[in-house]
Amino acid sequence: MVAVGISLAKPVEVVTSAEGEVFDVELEVNILRENERLAEENKRRLESKGVHAVDVMGSVGSGKTSLIKSMISQLKKDLRIAVIEGDVTTTIDSDIISSEGVPTVQVNTGKECHLDANLIRKALDRIPLDRLDLIFIENVGNLICPAEFPLGSDRRLVVISVTEGPYMVVKHPMMFLDAKVVAINKIDVAAAMGVDPNKLSADVARLNPKAATVHTSCRNGTGINDVIEKLGLKNR
Amino acid sequence: MHELAIATSLVESLLELVKKQSASKVLEVHLSVGKLRVLSIDQLKFSYEILSKGTALEGSLLDVEETPGYARCTNCHYAEKLEIDDLSFHFSLPQMTCPQCGANLILEGGDELLITRVRMLAPSDGSAVPTNELV
Repeated sequence: MVAVGISLAKPVEVVTSAEGEVFDVELEVNILRENERLAEENKRRLESKGVHAVDVMGSVGSGKTSLIKSMISQLKKDLRIAVIEGDVTTTIDSDIISSEGVPTVQVNTGKECHLDANLIRKALDRIPLDRLDLIFIENVGNLICPAEFPLGSDRRLVVISVTEGPYMVVKHPMMFLDAKVVAINKIDVAAAMGVDPNKLSADVARLNPKAATVHTSCRNGTGINDVIEKLGLKNR
Repeated sequence: MHELAIATSLVESLLELVKKQSASKVLEVHLSVGKLRVLSIDQLKFSYEILSKGTALEGSLLDVEETPGYARCTNCHYAEKLEIDDLSFHFSLPQMTCPQCGANLILEGGDELLITRVRMLAPSDGSAVPTNELV
């Protein structure tokens, strides 16, 4: 990681400072400020190129990759799209997305449970930003950690599915508070799972009334256009 | 799960500070961490201990003050402190709904992640401070 340059938020108050003496420094340094700085930098860089970025977050196996693939297949005739794929290991997801014929960068975090702004900065170096309108950033499957690490995207899509059971939203409230759109995926098997997707939508609406909730199925195409519309990606 | 990433960031920030202040050693580090941060303090301390080995931070005390978060109603005057393992945490946070009027709650505070105070030792012989590289 990059070394962190410290500039103190308020004037340094040195209590005592002589040779061999103990002294205190009082400060207000955000431990994650380096990530936040890099996220801001990524955001400015994307804005200056007129590129929109969607951070796609959600649980393991909820269908993030399938949803991205379905959206690309609808959007690629009108928009120039690239995808950044985050995973602990393997290139399985980026191989799936590449079949749509859009540029894809695989980011393997190795040991980390989330993407961070520095990894995105490096990924952006490998994408032709001048020739793009939109980037999907697929975060590592995880409903906890990615919420703490902004990447520089301008909107967040959270994906959960009925196969994870009826309590995914209430158990992970923090993940939904900043979402623009929440997709409740695999609704084609909701009955078989005995999970009511409307209950999940109501949970989201209570937590974050500003978020749009869409029921989707990547298998039969339900709701894909709606997600695109609610994300504000239509008619650009 | 991401305590190691945060401890790494913390150690980098502190080593930078040590350099700037020309200190020889860090004795105490005080943090302020919001209770709504999904962070295990024990894991953070453990990661810090490992990462600080062989640096000017080795053996220093990592003290964490946890600061509360508040849920405030967007409609009425209701406001409550969110305490982990308290009813507020198991009702208000998952619902984000005011128990008095049913309107949406918003969160205030509880997301701090700050270094607030560092106690250091100045070099006794006044010589140059050793540069501490991350292990």
